Amino acid sequence: MHLTGSLTVSYPASFCAVCLGVMNLIELLQNTADQCPQKAALIDGTEEISYTGLLDQVSELAAQLQELGARPGIRVGLWLPNSILYVALTFALWKIGAVVVPVPEECSEEEIEEILRSMELQGLVSRSPRPGEESAKISERPECYFARIKQAWQADNHGLNLAFIRFTSGTTSARKGVALCHETIRDRVMAANRALGITQEDTVMWCLPMSHHFLITIVLYLAHGATTVLARHVVARSFLEATNRHQGTVLYAAPFHYSLLARDASDVALPSVRLAVSTTCALPQDVAEDFRERFKLPLAQGLGIIELGLVALNTGDAAVAKWDSVGRPLCGFQVTILNADEHGRGEVAVRGPGFLDAYVAPWIPREQLLKEGWFVTGDIGHIDAEGYLILAGRKTAVINLAGRKVFPEEIESVLNRHPDVRESRVYGRVHPHLGEVVEAEIVLERAEASLDSLREFCRTHLASFKVPTRLQAVSSLPRTPVTGKIRREAAVA
Amino acid sequence: MADAQQIEAELLGFVRREVFAPTVELTPETDLVAAGFDSMSLVRVLLFIETTYGMWIPEKEITAETLRNLRSLAAAVCRLLHER
Repeated sequence: MHLTGSLTVSYPASFCAVCLGVMNLIELLQNTADQCPQKAALIDGTEEISYTGLLDQVSELAAQLQELGARPGIRVGLWLPNSILYVALTFALWKIGAVVVPVPEECSEEEIEEILRSMELQGLVSRSPRPGEESAKISERPECYFARIKQAWQADNHGLNLAFIRFTSGTTSARKGVALCHETIRDRVMAANRALGITQEDTVMWCLPMSHHFLITIVLYLAHGATTVLARHVVARSFLEATNRHQGTVLYAAPFHYSLLARDASDVALPSVRLAVSTTCALPQDVAEDFRERFKLPLAQGLGIIELGLVALNTGDAAVAKWDSVGRPLCGFQVTILNADEHGRGEVAVRGPGFLDAYVAPWIPREQLLKEGWFVTGDIGHIDAEGYLILAGRKTAVINLAGRKVFPEEIESVLNRHPDVRESRVYGRVHPHLGEVVEAEIVLERAEASLDSLREFCRTHLASFKVPTRLQAVSSLPRTPVTGKIRREAAVA
Repeated sequence: MADAQQIEAELLGFVRREVFAPTVELTPETDLVAAGFDSMSLVRVLLFIETTYGMWIPEKEITAETLRNLRSLAAAVCRLLHER
């Protein structure tokens, strides 16, 4: 059985190559600026920028970057925290034809070096000058530098009109990237908005890191004339008050944020909010119910995949009746279950618009990633009688810690470098308040080895949020019966 | 059971080591949000408290008053531990 969204759009595999050089995402921003030039595009604290203002800032930054040697096709890492500048720089790099590679702000220096090498970056934008590289200041407030990376990386974009590389992690511990063309991102944005329905009337309250979430969120909001408020509030009460002050209509956050909001003890309501989307990982039932009870608003859960964009979204009454479902496939997407068991549960496979153009490092083109036209997502699930997709678990787990993506393989590769570690397994354990937390099982080389020293080793080599909350010594790791690969599911408690 | 002073010292050690950059001067009275404490910092502190004291701070307790500084946070942890 497979399910289809009500509208099927045909996208030839060679779409990007055909349109090479024709489309640039800056056009989406220009279109909006033409339609509503003075409308606030982004608000960050007391700072507010209109669509025209944003476009002007993009043009200035693009000119500066070009002067500093940024050229079409080069890959530039963007290593900055959330800010208006972050958005302006992304569009500036796109405007000059460069490829943006977002780098999570928490990355350690060692991780940055590895990303520069594996993603073959020729430039890096960051908050401080890069030691040993030619750096130039491109913004005073917030302070920000563009560095040309001297090593002669020969990045080959294979003639594609690339805009974005989101790195993930490969099964062999090597980092790989998901490469997307301008046209692919546009297709994702347009497909997702058939379900989200973002318009110029919307104000989005944003609390996720842009380095992890940007395309079918920030780009989508800008393409449709919404105002995005960068909400930096730590406690629920101040977030609620800010939402009401800005007349927020859309919330986009992780289960952790909704958990905080749902348990707020005040009686502050959210009368202006029409849509609250819970993303990044499974929504715990009590959070869904408490939030709905507290705000009289169901949480919409969706299925977002790095390789495909937003595939399904569960909104409205269905989000109440089927709180555990990620919804039906969006228009243009088809979902099927492969190798289903007697309960109809099996591997979730998807096809639709906005499928990645290639994996990077090593380069694998789109055509080679499909199994008879389907992309096998790594999720396990079933489709119920009414066509709703319900996920049961993951075969290849990206761990989502309160909105940040963590790839088990990269943590394992660090752990496995420690002389006391024979092998390791990193997995996401479902956490009632945070969605998932990172845990690890270790087979030690010698029984007396210290787990504390391993933890310290992780702190030295990894971004702090990736350091496993719990390390446990075990005698062997669970493996799949046929292939002998390490199983990714969380350990049974 | 740990007292408020001990919890405060442990929280200060953790936050200094793992949440803020080494350049941030931190005392038990430092205004956390003004020093850059964000929602990810909160996640990490909550996880530290859960693994160290075996207790998840209920969300309704996560208020501006509790998170004013590490002293107020330690006092809340201590109170909640005694209430269990």
